[in-house]
Amino acid sequence: MRVKILNPGNLRIPTEPVATPCLLGNRCRECGTVVFPKMPICPSCRRKTDMEEIELGRTGKLYSHTIAYVAPKGFTAPYFQAFVDLPEGPRIFSLIGCQCLVERGVLEDGMEMRLIVEPVAETPERGDELTYKYVPAHHNGGSGR
Amino acid sequence: MREVAIIGVGAHPTGRFLEKPLKELAYPAIWNALDDAGVTAADVNVAYFGNSLAGLLTGQEGIRGQVVLQHAGITGIPIINVENACASAMTALRGAWLEIASGAADVALAVGAEKMNIGDSARTIGALSADSELDLSEMGMQFTATYAIHPKINVKARMQEYGWTAADLAKPAAKNSYNGSLNPLAQHRRPLTIEEIVQSRLIADPLTLLMCSSISDGAAAAVLCAADLAPRFTSHTPIKIASCVLQSGVYRLPDDERPDSATASAFAAYEKAGIGPDDLDAIELHDAMAPAELILYERLGLCALGEGPRLIDEHVTTLDGRMPVNPSGGLCSRGHPVGATGLLQICELIWQMRGQAGPRQIEPRPKVTLAQNQGGLLLGQDSAAYGVTILKC
Repeated sequence: MRVKILNPGNLRIPTEPVATPCLLGNRCRECGTVVFPKMPICPSCRRKTDMEEIELGRTGKLYSHTIAYVAPKGFTAPYFQAFVDLPEGPRIFSLIGCQCLVERGVLEDGMEMRLIVEPVAETPERGDELTYKYVPAHHNGGSGR
Repeated sequence: MREVAIIGVGAHPTGRFLEKPLKELAYPAIWNALDDAGVTAADVNVAYFGNSLAGLLTGQEGIRGQVVLQHAGITGIPIINVENACASAMTALRGAWLEIASGAADVALAVGAEKMNIGDSARTIGALSADSELDLSEMGMQFTATYAIHPKINVKARMQEYGWTAADLAKPAAKNSYNGSLNPLAQHRRPLTIEEIVQSRLIADPLTLLMCSSISDGAAAAVLCAADLAPRFTSHTPIKIASCVLQSGVYRLPDDERPDSATASAFAAYEKAGIGPDDLDAIELHDAMAPAELILYERLGLCALGEGPRLIDEHVTTLDGRMPVNPSGGLCSRGHPVGATGLLQICELIWQMRGQAGPRQIEPRPKVTLAQNQGGLLLGQDSAAYGVTILKC
């Protein structure tokens, strides 16, 4: 199966098996604001500053989550929807890794999360496309493919 | 800037009209508005056309307004197409308002029309997803779910922090379904109980089916003119646009301390109109998922954080209250044909201010009213467009 990556500029998938995947964002060298995905203009300074590329999001904290029982084409319901606070600053939308049972009580807001890489969805339409998702930090398996 | 009056409004009923193309939905709304205003097609100097989904759902990507308006006999004038997701119609109204306020035109037409029922709801839901920034929709963000957990409108957080119950979340839908039951243009005309709303199937925990607006076809139009010219066309009570504000969302980090954008846009509109929230006699607001109404009460300055359910319990925002909200039935009952919604809100407020709202007429007749319309979702964690219009008579 030919594998592609959704928005490859957002994600670093390591080649060495010991390394962990991470997101790629920007940090403003003047005010320190961190953004994900990358932006050429700092949203805090709103003028031309130096936006350096940084790695981020290997871990995070679950800000909020819900189970959606209706899914757009290419996705299978029920599935989790979540926002995750990254230690570097941004709060980002993410799906939850598919090894997590989709049931109430499996996730708890505030819990420590870690980034994994897996197909966007386990469907014929999106199964060959990799993206980032989060799983509870203590969860086994699902390390970057 | 010249004073601007709305002298005519018209709408197509909201609902499922599988056999009707967009132009057949828009044409009656346009001509109801022209007839209501007492103007002819030749009187219209400029038209703004709001629509969000026709490109993806019908394939008519370009020149939507010219196609629809030519069908309605409006030709040979500047026609400007606007797209701002669910705030497209309010954006069209703002364009028409500016044309007259600036003196560029004397009579302007604002139209919002949307055809969402195409016989393939998966395609319609896919097109709606495209009203979010592509990065989000590609990743599988589900629009309803954002109302449950999105930082800007986090219903679940309100439940945790203020003890809101599932029944509290159902209150706006119950209230608005009663209002909608009195509205002959409404899509859903059965009054709902809190119990059946809570017990309907989950769409995105804790939001249930009957708390969500449904796929809808519809259209609305308004005729605007310079306020001093209004008596030339009509004997209706002149209703003036006291302010019309449009703001894009801002990029927000978790520690952002600026006011929410719905708040910022509403207070900008209050300031320009020289009024405050206590002066409002009626409100139409953007309850795409009904519990959002409770949070918008806070955003519009109607109550303190967490107090939304009390405004319904104490009959402040019910049809018999001091400040009725969504007398039309709102987005869940009246319907949410996305690119028409802002002007459907304006139609309702004009009818209420003129005393033409029939069994759902607010008494005494409202003199100062507000319409709040928002749309789209950005990666920077705000909606894309926030529109607020204040009307006075």
